Amino acid sequence: MASEGYDMTHISPPRIAEALLRLTLPPHERDTVSGDLLEEYRECVYPERGRVRANLWYVGQILGFLHWDTRLSAALLGAATIARTALDWRVPTVDFHTRASVSTAIAAGLLCSAGFSASWRSQSPWTGAFAGVVSSATAAGVSVAGTIVLFIRYRDPVTLAAIQRSGGLPEALTLPVLLILPGLCLAGVGGIAGWLVRGFVRARSSRS
Amino acid sequence: MGKEAYGRAILKEVQLRLERDVAAGAVYATLERLEEKGLISSRVGLGTEVRAGRPRRFYTIEPAGVRALNASRAAVERLWVGVRWPLKGTT
Repeated sequence: MASEGYDMTHISPPRIAEALLRLTLPPHERDTVSGDLLEEYRECVYPERGRVRANLWYVGQILGFLHWDTRLSAALLGAATIARTALDWRVPTVDFHTRASVSTAIAAGLLCSAGFSASWRSQSPWTGAFAGVVSSATAAGVSVAGTIVLFIRYRDPVTLAAIQRSGGLPEALTLPVLLILPGLCLAGVGGIAGWLVRGFVRARSSRS
Repeated sequence: MGKEAYGRAILKEVQLRLERDVAAGAVYATLERLEEKGLISSRVGLGTEVRAGRPRRFYTIEPAGVRALNASRAAVERLWVGVRWPLKGTT
């Protein structure tokens, strides 16, 4: 083991990262899982990679936990955004209001449910907001990649005109990224709801 | 792994056998689901200095888990019955 003979107990990952990790975990796993990661950090990652890369590894692990919890909502949100772009480009309309209302409702529902489920699992009201950021950032990546593929695949004059009428390529590429902040807020609301409902359910089951 | 099967050790064993990195979140979520289904159980052990005193959670397979594993292995073997190994390509 790389750390043999050295005292690694004074070396720790960034406190804020550790606090974030604990927030994302259910109460009964907070000490055990954070202990596992700390052990790996001190015994293997830090001695092999040094402080900066070890800290990046630690943050990556936390994002991995959040990503694992939110992968379904992120995939659905990314797919919904690509579907909306494809619809606007390939089946153009004059009235975008209905489409915008439907796609906004779908995105809001997915983000609220991502926050709800993350906070339900972790029993912390704050996890929902973090889940919202990870969900909407992952969905933005999926959506940007899908939009580029659509643009490369369909470049005929009719589609190019429809792209211009629907706001243009820059809007299709930047809008998903701009949704990260509203994603934080919506999933934050869902997270608070998830935390409250979980608390209510626990209180009822402990009374009965 | 026997009685030493705690979260980090299981994660490392999975990575070693699959010969690739596996997300820690995936392994812990799977362990949690298996425990919810009663296929495995866990107990919390003592912490060590390198873990800042934080405990380890040790996992044990339950009889229902053994039955599920046997059924799963049997299903995979049934799928391979009649297939000559190694497979030969069409080219």
